[in-house]
Order: sequence, then C-alpha cells, then structure tokens
Amino acid sequence: MQTGLKVTNLCKRFGGIVVADAIDLDVPAGRIVGLIGPNGAGKTSFFNLVSGVVAPDAGQVMLDGEDVTGLKMAERARRGLARTWQNLRLFPSLSVLDNLLIGTRDYPGERLSRLALQSGRIARDETQDRLKALDVLERIGLAGIAHTDIVNVPYGQQKLIGVARALMNDPRCLLLDEPMAGVEGQAYRTLQSVVRGLAASGVAVCVVEHNVAFIRDLCNEGVFMFAGKVLARGDVESLVADPRLTELYFGT
Amino acid sequence: MEYFYTVVILMALYVILAASFNFVIGYGGLVSIAHPVFYAIGAYASALLARDMGVPVILAILAGGLIALLASVALALSSLRVSGDYLLIGSIGFQLGTLEVIKNLHWTGGAGGLSNIPSFLTQTLGPQAYVAFAVAVAMCTVLLLRWIAHGPYGRAMSAMRDDELAFAALGRNAMVMKITIFALGSGLAGLAGGIYAHYFRFIAPGQFDLLQSSALLTMVVVGGLRSTWGPIVGAIALEALPQAITFINLPPSVLGPLQGILFTSLVLIFMFVRPQGLIAASARWRGRQEEAR
Repeated sequence: MQTGLKVTNLCKRFGGIVVADAIDLDVPAGRIVGLIGPNGAGKTSFFNLVSGVVAPDAGQVMLDGEDVTGLKMAERARRGLARTWQNLRLFPSLSVLDNLLIGTRDYPGERLSRLALQSGRIARDETQDRLKALDVLERIGLAGIAHTDIVNVPYGQQKLIGVARALMNDPRCLLLDEPMAGVEGQAYRTLQSVVRGLAASGVAVCVVEHNVAFIRDLCNEGVFMFAGKVLARGDVESLVADPRLTELYFGT
Repeated sequence: MEYFYTVVILMALYVILAASFNFVIGYGGLVSIAHPVFYAIGAYASALLARDMGVPVILAILAGGLIALLASVALALSSLRVSGDYLLIGSIGFQLGTLEVIKNLHWTGGAGGLSNIPSFLTQTLGPQAYVAFAVAVAMCTVLLLRWIAHGPYGRAMSAMRDDELAFAALGRNAMVMKITIFALGSGLAGLAGGIYAHYFRFIAPGQFDLLQSSALLTMVVVGGLRSTWGPIVGAIALEALPQAITFINLPPSVLGPLQGILFTSLVLIFMFVRPQGLIAASARWRGRQEEAR
C-alpha cells in the first residue's frame, strides 16, 4: 500500500526541552514536502525520530501503512526508509563507489555465514549492485569519480554522494537533511531533477532546508515548524509570505 | 633441533594470535585486551577434554576453539549492548577474573598449572609433523582473515568503524557484525590455545596474563594495524627478539622484566615515530577486485 509516511502525535522531550510536541504530519507517496523553520524548531529531531535514531516518548510512525515505531533504525532502513545527514556522515576510508554499495538495502556481504556458504551468489549480487551504483552515480553526473577516495572529493559533490548513497536503498520514503547547504551551480540543478524524478516514481520525500528558493522550486508544499510544533502547512509561497511566520523565523 | 621446533611453533601460534587480534581491534575497531584469555580458555578446554574425558586431541582442539568462541560471545553480548567503550572495561575484568577462577579451581590444576596433557602428532609422527600442523593452521588463519577483510564483509567492517550511526541508518546491523568479529577472532585464539597445550603438555594461568596482552598488542601495533602481513611480521620479530636476548646470558630475574620493558617501549616508540607500524596498511579499504585491477 503506497500511502507514504504518516506520523501521528509524535512527542519527545530531552529534559526540559521539547523537540517534538504532538506532531501530526504526513508525506504522501509521490509528494515532496519541505520542512522550514528557524534553528532549534525541531526539524532534524523530527528526522531522527522518524528514522529511529532516537525513540519517541509517544506517538506513531507509519510507513506505507505499516507501523515502524517499535523498529530499530536498521530495520526501518530495510523497509525502505532512507535519510541523509546534515553533516554527511560518509565513510572516509571507502571510495565513492564503496560508500554507495554499503547503502544497498539488502547488502549481500553482511553476514559472514552467508559469505562462506553462498559466495557465488554474493559475488553475483555484488556485481549487480556495482552496476546499480554506477547507474546512480551516472544520474547525478559523478560516474567519473566512482573509484576516487571519498576524502578527495569536493564538498559539493560529497553532498550529492550522500543523496546517492540513500538512493541505493530504493527508498519508499526519503528524508533529506539540508541537501543544498554548500551546493552550487550544476549540482543544484542535478539534485532538483533527481529528487523530482524520485517523487514522480512514487517516493515520499521530505526535505529540511534553509534555502527557501530551493524549497519553493522543488516542494509541492511546505510545513512550518517552531518549537517542536507544526504551525502551518500549505504551499511554500504563502508560508513565506505569512508575516506571522516570518517574524518567528527571524525572531524580530 | 628441539629448541628450533619450539621456536617455530611459538611463532606460528603468535601469528594466529596476532592476526586474530588484529582482526578484532584493527579491522573491527573493538578495543579489548582479553585476547590471551580466549587463548587460555581454548588451551584449558582442549587439555581437559583430551586428558580427563578421553576426547581425541584433534576434536578437543576444535572444541577448545568453539568454547573460546562461545565465551567471547557472552562477553560481547553483555558489554557491547551498552557501548563499545565498555568492551575494554569488560575485557579487563574478564581477563583478570577468568585467570583468578582458573587459579582457584581444583580441576584446572589451580595456580600450579595443568600437566600430563596428552600429546598429539609428536610421538607418532615426530615433532616436525607438529611444526607443520601449527604452521598450516597459522597460514589458514591468515588467509581466511585476509579473504574476509578484502571482500564485501571487509568493506562493511570499514564502514562500521568509520561511522556506526550512518552504517546502522543504512540498514546494516552493527551489533551482529561486532559480535561476529569478536567471536571469530576469539575462537581462533582458542584454537591456538589447544595447539599450544598439546605440544607443551603443561599450562598454567601465569602464561596468559596481562604481559601476554601487552605482547600481542605490541606485535599488532609494531607490525602494522589493519594490514595482512603486519601482525605476522610483528609476531615473528617479537617472538624472535626475546629468544635472541636469552643468548646474552642474563640472569632470569632480569630477563622477565626486560621483556616487559622491551614490549612497552616498542609500543611507545612506534606510536610516536611510526604509528602505521612496520607494514603500513592503506588508509583506504581496497577490495579484491581493485587490487587485481
């Protein structure tokens, strides 16, 4: 059932700080929803709660109709929930291609017992995953640096690789945490078209981004968050134009 | 000649120990010092099974490895659940505690040690056969670990070491992987223990103490963390070194502490001067295909 991501009554507090205050939010399959709001509004915390980095105090996270709230991070990923990180979190001792391969949803070489007993099958799966990784790199225009060490890749391209690694999951829901910070020019347009293509194929996409122009270009709708609450939802243009929200954003 | 065989067997055993220890702390990034205890558990289990229960020696050695593996899973399950740092603390306690238990049990021979361990191969085919056996196991260990480290599993180990959170968020099970690495490394140490026991036919708790931990750490650090050949070079060099010192005719009361000082200073010197060890591993993970290219 392709219903996308549905979050109900999500609550989390760290001591006295409320990062999620009864959040109700759905990201339907095939839609791109932008999360906007000032620093500390709870946008990244929302991603951490949805992806399973931290457990909520209350509430429910549903992925395509299935309750994933009780599942660990890795199990959520294996059900098609992928995310990127504000600070990238790529694997510095791996090449670009190897970084992508680790993101395969069912990584063939993960279990030592399988490696010993089904090495032929694993080799075949690996070959397929390599082709797939090269294809994903092709889509973001970076196939030429597949075998480069990740530490030698410029920051803007590393951001794209972070997204590419999440794409290896064939996600049903993709959470992008500030994908545009530090990205310019061609990479900007590439990212836009890749994300649009994903949504067109039925993926639910949620983007946290401070670059309002990017959100406006890309997202079907925007959600304004403040102090762990969803304050408003609607098309990005009207959210940006709302003087009440602008005041909260700039704190004037 | 007997002396030569003994030295080669010890070198082979230290190659197994250093290579498996490198697998745990180098490739796996799991900081533990309890490696000699799994060596001890393998030695004691194999010796007792063969001596008191009449199990054929070769099966007893394998069982010793398996028992060491199971013991390591118990330690890993309890300490890795909390966080990686607890493994170091847990391993220190496990090291000291297990040796204390062995010292105080009746059926392990206590502090005086366990003697009359059945021999294997030496009396039927001669000591050369045992040398060949130990060297063969050492070679298989090195090749097995190299095969794992340079394949898809090795790629995943590198990623896990780099960033466990990102690794898990991609759907990988870091906990299972850590326990597997720890269990395999410790099981191989247990295997080495059995091979030791049935050649020397006498084991005592003092042979597996903290000095052994520091010796193994020295071998791995001096040889080169995370490289295939580093721990082998380290093991052979550091096993040969103390043998060489014994030729300088120092009194035994000086020799023992001298070895400890030697190992410790080597670790310090290498940490400062050449942290990558004698054989530097590539900073980047390289798989089989890429090496062939």
